[in-house]
Amino acid sequence: MMIALDRASLRYGPILGLSPTSFELSDGGGITGLLGPNGAGKSSLLQLLSGLLPPSGGEVKVFGQAPFRNPSVLARLGLVPEGDRLPAGLRADRWLRMMGELSGLSGQGLKAAEARVLEVVGMADRGHLPFGRMSKGMRQRIRLAQSLLHEPELLILDEPFNGLDPEARLTLMALLRDLAGRGTRILVSSHILGEIAQLTDRILLLFRGRLLAEGSVSEIRQLLDRHPVELRLSGEAQALARWAVEQPELAALRIEEGAVVISVRSPRDILPRLQRAVVAGELPLRAMDPLDLNLDAVFQYLTKDHA
Amino acid sequence: MSAAPSPLATIRATARGYAPRVLQGRGWVLAGLVVVPVGLSLLIFTLVRIRGGEASPAEAVKVFHEVLVKMMLPIMALVAAPAGIREDLEQRPLPLLLVRPAPAWALPLGKGLPWFAWGALWLGVGVLGLQVLGGDPALLPGRMVALVGAWWGELALMTLVGLLFKRGTLWGALYFFLWEPLVRVLPPSLQRLTFTHYIESLAGSRAAEVRTNQLLAQEQVTTHPALAILILLAFGALCWALAGWKLQRTPIGLAGSEAEG
Repeated sequence: MMIALDRASLRYGPILGLSPTSFELSDGGGITGLLGPNGAGKSSLLQLLSGLLPPSGGEVKVFGQAPFRNPSVLARLGLVPEGDRLPAGLRADRWLRMMGELSGLSGQGLKAAEARVLEVVGMADRGHLPFGRMSKGMRQRIRLAQSLLHEPELLILDEPFNGLDPEARLTLMALLRDLAGRGTRILVSSHILGEIAQLTDRILLLFRGRLLAEGSVSEIRQLLDRHPVELRLSGEAQALARWAVEQPELAALRIEEGAVVISVRSPRDILPRLQRAVVAGELPLRAMDPLDLNLDAVFQYLTKDHA
Repeated sequence: MSAAPSPLATIRATARGYAPRVLQGRGWVLAGLVVVPVGLSLLIFTLVRIRGGEASPAEAVKVFHEVLVKMMLPIMALVAAPAGIREDLEQRPLPLLLVRPAPAWALPLGKGLPWFAWGALWLGVGVLGLQVLGGDPALLPGRMVALVGAWWGELALMTLVGLLFKRGTLWGALYFFLWEPLVRVLPPSLQRLTFTHYIESLAGSRAAEVRTNQLLAQEQVTTHPALAILILLAFGALCWALAGWKLQRTPIGLAGSEAEG
């Protein structure tokens, strides 16, 4: 197993960052998404796996060994942490050279690795710039470049899409897919299901420091679809209510002034039907507002469901 | 997969990678701490001579002991040490270094070496400037070795204190500026726990210039110069090693804070 957690937990003093968690990831390439709202414990888990922190309880093994300050594990993994962490005032190429040397590269191998990663992240002609003169997107690319220098077998990315423009997001996704296709195991965290769903074949669902579920994207989607979503439909309330009660996904309904608030399961099934009815002129709908589509609400529901 | 770099390769890579930092603001403050007092002394000395007055060569001894040794050297250590590991800890690039297969214990020394070299360079310039002021040429090597040796020890000590305590600069300032005056009223052997004692052992006597309130202790204790430099170098090495040990052992997460492991 490339990764094996056995009731591994992490405490920050009195605060529990990660409840005892167990899961395994097999060897070989592929992308695994770590999904959860902010504060779910994603970063805690990634810090355990990347050897930054030792577990407070249980056992973490990466490549069969405990990763904390373990050179033989660290030589095989790369980490792209969240946030801007590049030292001010240094040039990207020189800093990458240092990171390469700290990864055990030297001589021509180091030069080739530096040129390769700058090329891969599309910074070949801008590597000489100091970090202070780089945009957020450029710095994110350099953060990714430093993690690829030593061609890690396991690449860990913490919220890598935060702050990226759509084009940079697509470029990064393509790059990650390419790396995974060439045998790199990638673990990527996000609080946005859509991002993860575009990337990955497997999802780990974390909430409040607990591993809530693991499975394929469709399995997780089904799990999420069980959560009733509230929608406010504005228009002729009586007519909208008449339409709504005929829908099998309806879980609850209440009428407000000039609107009806419906609670539906599997919104992905009911929404196309709603759209067709409106287009056909069968439904006097003026506006539709989702009330609780945020991931946090979904996770709260799942937690209750699992309790 | 690459092999883990040796401690020496780690120190070399870190020192070379972070060397450009000394040419930024903090580095020039460090240079200024030496150049400004020596330069001002030279200016005053020159003005006095132009006006036909006679400036005493003893001024060089005074600037060396009272300004460089007692004030500027500790301030340099307090300014430079946080630029090492402490700054990376607070500004958060440190995890990127810690997830490398390089030995973490070698990082404090690697990051500190450029600052040591830069500070030593300017201390050398300062001592040479004092020669122009009228310093005794026979004392030049001793002064040079004393300042550079003490700089090595003080920088290492402040790096260690910065890793041990969140308010390392405060504790460092208390040691430098409160402990030595206190030693005057404590048993004389305690002066061996001050940098000033070893600097004075190396830099030569200032007997003619010293006043009672400048004495380090009620009774002077002497240390052979060779032993003094050895102690300074060994103390510095010990502090770098302890700083490395502290970093190696301490779990440091992405937030830069220490976690209970």
